[in-house]
Amino acid sequence: MEMIIAGLLDSISPASLMFVFIGVAIGVLIGAIPGINGPMAIALFIPVTYYMSALTAIGFLVGLNKGAFFGGAVSAVLLRTPGTPEAAATSWDGYPLTQQGKGEKALRMALYSSVAGDFISTVVLILIAAPLAAVALFMGPPEIFALISLALTVIAGIGTSSICRGLVAAGFGILVGLVGTEPVTALPRLTFDVYQFGSGLSLIPVAIGLLAFSEILLQLEKFTVKGGGTHIVNVFSSKIEDRLLSFKEFFANKRTLLRGSLIGIGVGAMPGLGAPVASFMSYDQAMKRSKNKEEFGKGSLEGIGASESANSAVVAASMIPLFVLGIPGNLAVAMLMGAFMIHGMQPGPLMFQENAQLMYGIYGSLLLASLFLLLIGRFGLRFFCKAVNIPAMILYPIVVFTCIMGSYLGKSSMFDVGVMLAFGFIGYFMRKFDYSYVAFLIGFILAPEWERALQQVVIISEYDTYMFFQRPVAMILMGLALFVIVRTFWNGIKGGRKKQVEAAAAAAGQHKGD
Amino acid sequence: MLTWAIPTYTPAYPGYGASPALVPNVAVGIMLFMACLSLVRIGLAIYMNKPLCDEEREFPEDLEQGSGFTQVGRVKISHLARIMIPSVLLVVLIEYIGYMLASFAFLMTLQYVIGNRKWVQSIVVSVVLTVVLYIVMRYGFGVPVPGPQFF
Repeated sequence: MEMIIAGLLDSISPASLMFVFIGVAIGVLIGAIPGINGPMAIALFIPVTYYMSALTAIGFLVGLNKGAFFGGAVSAVLLRTPGTPEAAATSWDGYPLTQQGKGEKALRMALYSSVAGDFISTVVLILIAAPLAAVALFMGPPEIFALISLALTVIAGIGTSSICRGLVAAGFGILVGLVGTEPVTALPRLTFDVYQFGSGLSLIPVAIGLLAFSEILLQLEKFTVKGGGTHIVNVFSSKIEDRLLSFKEFFANKRTLLRGSLIGIGVGAMPGLGAPVASFMSYDQAMKRSKNKEEFGKGSLEGIGASESANSAVVAASMIPLFVLGIPGNLAVAMLMGAFMIHGMQPGPLMFQENAQLMYGIYGSLLLASLFLLLIGRFGLRFFCKAVNIPAMILYPIVVFTCIMGSYLGKSSMFDVGVMLAFGFIGYFMRKFDYSYVAFLIGFILAPEWERALQQVVIISEYDTYMFFQRPVAMILMGLALFVIVRTFWNGIKGGRKKQVEAAAAAAGQHKGD
Repeated sequence: MLTWAIPTYTPAYPGYGASPALVPNVAVGIMLFMACLSLVRIGLAIYMNKPLCDEEREFPEDLEQGSGFTQVGRVKISHLARIMIPSVLLVVLIEYIGYMLASFAFLMTLQYVIGNRKWVQSIVVSVVLTVVLYIVMRYGFGVPVPGPQFF
């Protein structure tokens, strides 16, 4: 109990309050800008957190992520260009409302739904993470090895249409993650005689390069190749009923919001699915169960509520696997895991024993971030709407230069800037050829832990290869990993055959028509 | 990797635990196996004269919908060069001409490359960003800015 009170008091210290507030504000601003999302913002700002305490740093980054999730809805509603992938479903009903001059009402619905989903999810995280972590403590190295193997296979399917390319990316990430000092011999491995590689590649330049710099390289193609730009239509009507959202209008959707939040929690707690899945699933369910189905897609507040409550609920729920098992379920959480490690903590069930006060402090910061999101969104809505119109020709050079200086900031080393540029270049090709950079990054982050678990298994078992057969949980997890791979391949083959049959049928039909 | 890099740049087996080369070999093995599997599937599809399924396309931009995470399409080398060359030059030149000059020149070049022809706006953005980041790094975080200090 003392730990809980001390942790919560830490979270309301002036520095912590200030940085959570700043994090949420920057997150909303960044999320509102199309092309910049939460994980990218976290990667850019991790170097800044070097100079903060662990609680302040994590609170700031969590605030940034929460803010970015709502920020994505701003451009989705105003421009029909989702600032983040998970806000795509929000644009289906948000943009029609904007065209009717009810953009502010749509944004308010998005904000309140986001806060509701986020708050419910945070409470669930607080209630279940610690008890689950206590159970997870019974897991030994074989289970951890099997669990990381399962996580890598599940995550290999994210961000690519092919699990083959996903696993190639995950393998590449593991290989890059192994550069540095080998844990058993303490000798350099895969360093190619470059002394800077001796301590391994830092997460910051790799993440900034893959997430931010490569994304900007792609975004800038519109300017160096085509030329482009978008401006928002009339958002703020003069009629008060078009601008404000009444309690009645909001609470009329309470079932949808609760369902969306539960879907978001369920999806977020499972590694590999992510917020876009939750958002689309919740929208689909809301449409099927709604009394006003015909309004969906034409400006339904219920549609906005379904999408936003679900995607925001994912933020806190996706920390459940991180806190319980030490496994990042999605990219944003993988970045947060990196931040934990930078501040000397290994995420996982032991955190509740070794850093209990900090954990309760983080819980406090999570709740405060929800409150700040409500306040910042409520009073800063008009300002954030203007962010959507920042000219890209000014914005992108700023982001590129911030990527460069952010990479330098970590170790005050221009070598890291070179690493960032190299991974930006690699990331550009990975995106172009549909290799999952998500799988790469998670493989990169988990590689040392995976190898450590394997070494422990080999040493503890004294080279007994049958050790796995004596551990049922490890066996089940390894079986699941194999099942995921086989099932994905099978679905791919079946899908391919179906398309071939359809293509042949279409060709035959066309021939008949001629 | 399997025949040269891993054997050359991996410590010898110390006599206990797993070999230091085991996990790198497994990682490269996964990559190699998956690449071979894709090649076989593509080869079979071409041999049997069937259209490629989604997984086998080299450039999945032909798909009706992308994966949602990647922006697939053909590589635009000239575009890549226009952004990468100034960035690499910044890393090299910053050691010789200092942070202020190199950053200013880099930002001006980058804005020109992406089509900003408003010179006053370009200069203002370059100067303000260079100075703001200098102040943040030097006085905010106490980190020395890269390269020689002329000012």
